[in-house]
Amino acid sequence: MLKSHEKFHSVNGKRQVLVVDDELINREILRAVLQDSYELLFAENGREALSIMRENKDTLSVVLLDLMMPVMSGMEMLQAAKQDADIAPIPIIVISADQNAEVDCLTAGASDFIPKPYPQPAVILARMLRTIELYEDRQIINSTERDSVTGLYNHEYFYSYAEQFDQHHKDLEMDAIVVDVNHFHMINERFGKAYGDVVLKQIGESLRASVANNEGIVCRREADTFLVYCPHGISFEAMLEQASIRLTREDVQGSRVWLRMGIYPKVDKSLDIERRFDRAKRAADTVQGSFARRIGVYDEQLHERELYSEQLIEDFDLAIKERQFTVYYQPKYDVQYETPMLASAEALVRWQHPTLGMISPGIFIPLFEKNGLIQRLDLYVWCEAAAQIRAWRDRFGFTLPISVNVSRIDMYDPFLLETLLKVVRDNDIVPFDLLLEITESAYTQDSSQMIETVARLREIGFRVEMDDFGTGYSSLNMISSIPIDALKLDMQFVRNAFSGQQDTRMLEVIIDIADYLSVPTIAEGVETQYQMSTLKEMGCEYVQGFYFSRPVPPEEFEPFIVERAGRKAEADGALRPELRLGSRRQAAITYANIVQALAADYFGVYYVNVATGHFTVYNARQQLKELGLPTTGEGFFQRCAQDIRVVVHPDDVEMLLSVFTKDNILSSLEQRGTFTVTYRMMFDEGPQYVHLKATSMSEGPAQHIVMGISSVDEQIHNEQEHAWAPRMASQGARKELS
Amino acid sequence: MTLDDLRAYGANVDEGLGRCMGMESLYLRLAESIKTDEKFDVLTRTLQAGDLDGAFEAAHALKGVLANLAITPLQLPVEEITELLRARTAMDYTDLLGRIVAERERFCAL
Repeated sequence: MLKSHEKFHSVNGKRQVLVVDDELINREILRAVLQDSYELLFAENGREALSIMRENKDTLSVVLLDLMMPVMSGMEMLQAAKQDADIAPIPIIVISADQNAEVDCLTAGASDFIPKPYPQPAVILARMLRTIELYEDRQIINSTERDSVTGLYNHEYFYSYAEQFDQHHKDLEMDAIVVDVNHFHMINERFGKAYGDVVLKQIGESLRASVANNEGIVCRREADTFLVYCPHGISFEAMLEQASIRLTREDVQGSRVWLRMGIYPKVDKSLDIERRFDRAKRAADTVQGSFARRIGVYDEQLHERELYSEQLIEDFDLAIKERQFTVYYQPKYDVQYETPMLASAEALVRWQHPTLGMISPGIFIPLFEKNGLIQRLDLYVWCEAAAQIRAWRDRFGFTLPISVNVSRIDMYDPFLLETLLKVVRDNDIVPFDLLLEITESAYTQDSSQMIETVARLREIGFRVEMDDFGTGYSSLNMISSIPIDALKLDMQFVRNAFSGQQDTRMLEVIIDIADYLSVPTIAEGVETQYQMSTLKEMGCEYVQGFYFSRPVPPEEFEPFIVERAGRKAEADGALRPELRLGSRRQAAITYANIVQALAADYFGVYYVNVATGHFTVYNARQQLKELGLPTTGEGFFQRCAQDIRVVVHPDDVEMLLSVFTKDNILSSLEQRGTFTVTYRMMFDEGPQYVHLKATSMSEGPAQHIVMGISSVDEQIHNEQEHAWAPRMASQGARKELS
Repeated sequence: MTLDDLRAYGANVDEGLGRCMGMESLYLRLAESIKTDEKFDVLTRTLQAGDLDGAFEAAHALKGVLANLAITPLQLPVEEITELLRARTAMDYTDLLGRIVAERERFCAL
């Protein structure tokens, strides 16, 4: 047990004691008893004592109080002290000859009662010390049981209080509630942590107020997650509404924090308290990212799903042992041949569960990714695929490369290379035969480590495909620095391009970028002849999807190999047609410029058709699209002339209007190959210097120009690092299109 | 006044001295101060004026210090009058007060 705390010591290192007695003789006796152990303060009546207590509230350890005193009696003083929040915690020991007063004093908040005449000094000292220890331990507990930001319980104390509450209210129905702040990091990033803390405190206070009359308790668990435990019957909507506080900063006045709530109503008290909140958390996760639904309830359906998940996890070991997992294969075709030719296959795992039947990988893979079992499943698939490569080679005399998934967690495994090499060697194949698919989002989390691991894999001969490209947030900048052998366009990305309005422009841009980086693209999810031929036109090399075949068991895959083996001569004889580079060479140059521009901290890049005025805006982080702004438009030069008056610093408007004309730009491009101008743009924070650079896309008279705008404000001001570029990017782009 | 004087007077010197951490000089100094304690006069005056509240306060205060110093012969009649006054007993206090005054005079003679 903690016996002391610095806070409770006065300057001379002794604890401070206040003796309150109107009789000099009594004070002197107590002085004799206490002076060696304590620093002493004296008061002769209750009023004087109160004022000394307030003055020394941070250092006073205990008060010894006589009852019968002039001016203000001990009892009056005791009552006043216990009603003053500042000094109420300081323990008071009443010393009186009036034994009848003992009960009244203890009821009024006295910590102890010592009779008069005084007992032996050792008794007084011992009882004082015990009182002080209890007080100090309580103080320490108080300081550790609270979350310093919100003043709420921290979660450990919250859990133990909840358990205590349950013990005394066994039959009361309780709700476990989790409240999460959506995108809280955005509040921290935009307004700073100090304001973020204010927001958390307000949310906490509001939640506490919601349940205060209901004996509910609230705590903060982790950064922006609150837990509420309260008797059933409170209105969840009202609680959420009340807690969705308005931000009070002037610049965002009126905006509200966006919360989501998960409720596990009428908890099963046989469950651990933590488990109850896990369920509430699970319910909150069901509404994550949804604007329409803010409250998720842990109901029978969710419970069933939980049980199902638990069963799958429990059954995993046996499934591996009994080889319930089977690997299916889906062909990838090289479509640049006149007749598409089988190039490789992707290994896709299926689970034939003995009682649950065929389980979709969409269900068990995310589950196993969460708890790490995926690593064992991946290894299982790698071994199966490697063995299959070997088996088909032996059988058909043809080596078909097969791609396997390498999960993010595998990438952190220090023995990944050794493991993969062993798989390859055990099956007498070479790393070149086993293609590794690594999801795009893996790169964005810890890109430098990923890049290093990928580079080492490639050094020893593995080929790496970046999977699910188009779903993550990788910047073009990063892609250009990553060593990969193929870019695999996400199935959903391909489907979206061909659905509805058939907007395949982004697809085309990406294929061209990949081409510029000399990386072939593989399109997944291709279902029709039209999609296949369109992708082929765009320059996509490989196609995978139902158009060729769904994933099939190995025996059903064999006809593809037989067919492919028959065309071996064709493949070896360099009969593959050259890519139609005529028109595409021009595009490649275009995008080369765009990629370079995006890589060079331009926050806006425009690709403009000089003749028609049609333009496309590119932006490294797809912010325009996220903001719901158009990425193309007409009448570029007319629009610029209008926008200049809005977004440019008034002092620079005339200058810019005079130079930023179509004729002037074209003539500058013709003479010097570039057109540049520096001016001040108006941002939320005020004017900042930007640099606009335009280059022609072709020799001779310009048909297309690429125009990039970068911020040079800090360079101009003080040559500082431009760490603000990403922030400027969104704001700048928004202004320009306003 | 010495410890022996006090013993001879009837005080429980060991008990009183113990409360003073065995500090003889302190004990003697505090005992000496009883001789000039104005509360005896206050007690006499208030009783003569029929002010039982004031008399109780004075008696109660005296009782406390006398008990702490264990000056038993003086403490006993003061205790007795304190309890009567606590109940605000309407009676003739002359004899009891006389005993207290007499004991005090005996004490002051030490």
